[in-house]
Amino acid sequence: MTKGRIRNSVRKLRFLGSEMTQQELAEKIGVTRQTVIAIEQDKYSPSLDVAFRIARIFGVPLEEVFQYETDAGSQTAP
Amino acid sequence: MDLSYQEKSILGSLLAVVVVYGYYFASVLRDLSHPEFGAGNVARLILAVVAIVVIEIVYHIVLALESKVEAKDERDILIECKAYRNAYFLLATGAFLVIACVILADLLREPAPTRIVMTPFLTVNLVLFFMALAELMKFVTQLFYYRRGLR
Repeated sequence: MTKGRIRNSVRKLRFLGSEMTQQELAEKIGVTRQTVIAIEQDKYSPSLDVAFRIARIFGVPLEEVFQYETDAGSQTAP
Repeated sequence: MDLSYQEKSILGSLLAVVVVYGYYFASVLRDLSHPEFGAGNVARLILAVVAIVVIEIVYHIVLALESKVEAKDERDILIECKAYRNAYFLLATGAFLVIACVILADLLREPAPTRIVMTPFLTVNLVLFFMALAELMKFVTQLFYYRRGLR
């Protein structure tokens, strides 16, 4: 099985979306600011519930927030 | 180093366990020539347990006063689960070792040239030692995952 990694565009979307702070995003999705930091640094992949909430906050599809990358470098939609 | 509320809480608990149980087990080792539950040994054991509880309460009150208390979220709970798993393996290993010690001490009581005596005092302290070690394992695992992340 090819090993994959989940990347995300949360930081970029946060700045595009009226420069929302990490604290504001954390409060909106119901996690701590430390968890938002961990997500942005690819140190934590959130649950589907939180992932959908993030996408809904930014008003974009889930694939635009999270991308699944394999070792070969190819990207696949989640 | 920027530490979250949870990390500060864990770090305080870890230091409390290291200092109190470190001091307790060092004093138990010093008096190992009298491995029995005298009034002094019982008092020392109770004092260690009470000291841990008091230090934890005072530390968490101070922590709550000086930094914003954050409720645990899904990441905190996941990290805690991983930490409990490691702590459980260590505690289970410790329990098997204590059982083995008690059985071996009983089996070797007569024929062995050097008598191994597993007194209740030694048994209780061995169990307590592995419980403290499991607590440490839990705290260290949590700090490790908070720093390294869950990939």
